[in-house]
Amino acid sequence: MPITPEHVGRHFPPAPPYTVSRAKIEEFAVALGDDNPAYFTDDAIAPPTFAAIIAAQAWGALFDDEELGLSLNRTMHGDQHFDFHRPLKAGDEVVAQLGIERVRNRSTMDMVTILVELTVDGEPVCSARSTLMHTKEEAA
Amino acid sequence: MNVGDSRELRVRVTRSQVVRYSGASTDFNEIHFSDRHARAIGLPGVVAHGMWTMGAGLRVVTDWVEDPARVLSYFVRFTRPVVVPDTDDGVEVVYTATVAEIDGGVAKLTLTATCGNDAVLGAARAEVRVA
Repeated sequence: MPITPEHVGRHFPPAPPYTVSRAKIEEFAVALGDDNPAYFTDDAIAPPTFAAIIAAQAWGALFDDEELGLSLNRTMHGDQHFDFHRPLKAGDEVVAQLGIERVRNRSTMDMVTILVELTVDGEPVCSARSTLMHTKEEAA
Repeated sequence: MNVGDSRELRVRVTRSQVVRYSGASTDFNEIHFSDRHARAIGLPGVVAHGMWTMGAGLRVVTDWVEDPARVLSYFVRFTRPVVVPDTDDGVEVVYTATVAEIDGGVAKLTLTATCGNDAVLGAARAEVRVA
């Protein structure tokens, strides 16, 4: 059974907490080619799009839900939006919770908008909204 | 920072940078290191991660405001992949950011990202705290 607009509002149990480390912040900044000093000090903050690492780990719940019939290898990332409430920093234990916000069924493709809310100690730190373009199996 | 001001940033990306981003982001999709897998889904060859293209481009804004904690929001549409040739020089992505509006201490910027003749990001925009 494919994903339909009836699945809008479905929320998944949060993924296990992700602990941000200074080493991972540095590794990520270097991978972006970004030498901003804010990422390389004792009280470093993470580059804003670091949130995507944690959000993407929460996507697993979506693909594991057999009722939705979604497959990662037929999925393209259509767009990405972040609202940043505060920067991530080393020591943050980040909880990511995924919900389905919008579903549009097209002839060959389903467009699924998901929202991952990232919180630390219950306080929101980042909202990561993604539109995923899923090519239907019969169209592949 | 005033309405109409703009900045440009040129970023070179090589295969080794793409591999580095795979490790840092833990996105190990084969299309980011294997030409064979990339061609199997119709790409000309290995492509950079969309999230790399998005993340590297934000530097045009954060270099400008200096403190990345000022970034309040960031949106992009992934329009075309950045194809990364297996050469020492890789390929260059050119980013621009332009201040569209400043209101209530928040600047709204529009961004572009171009690789060769392709716009690789669409409708890109960011909000930063400026006061």
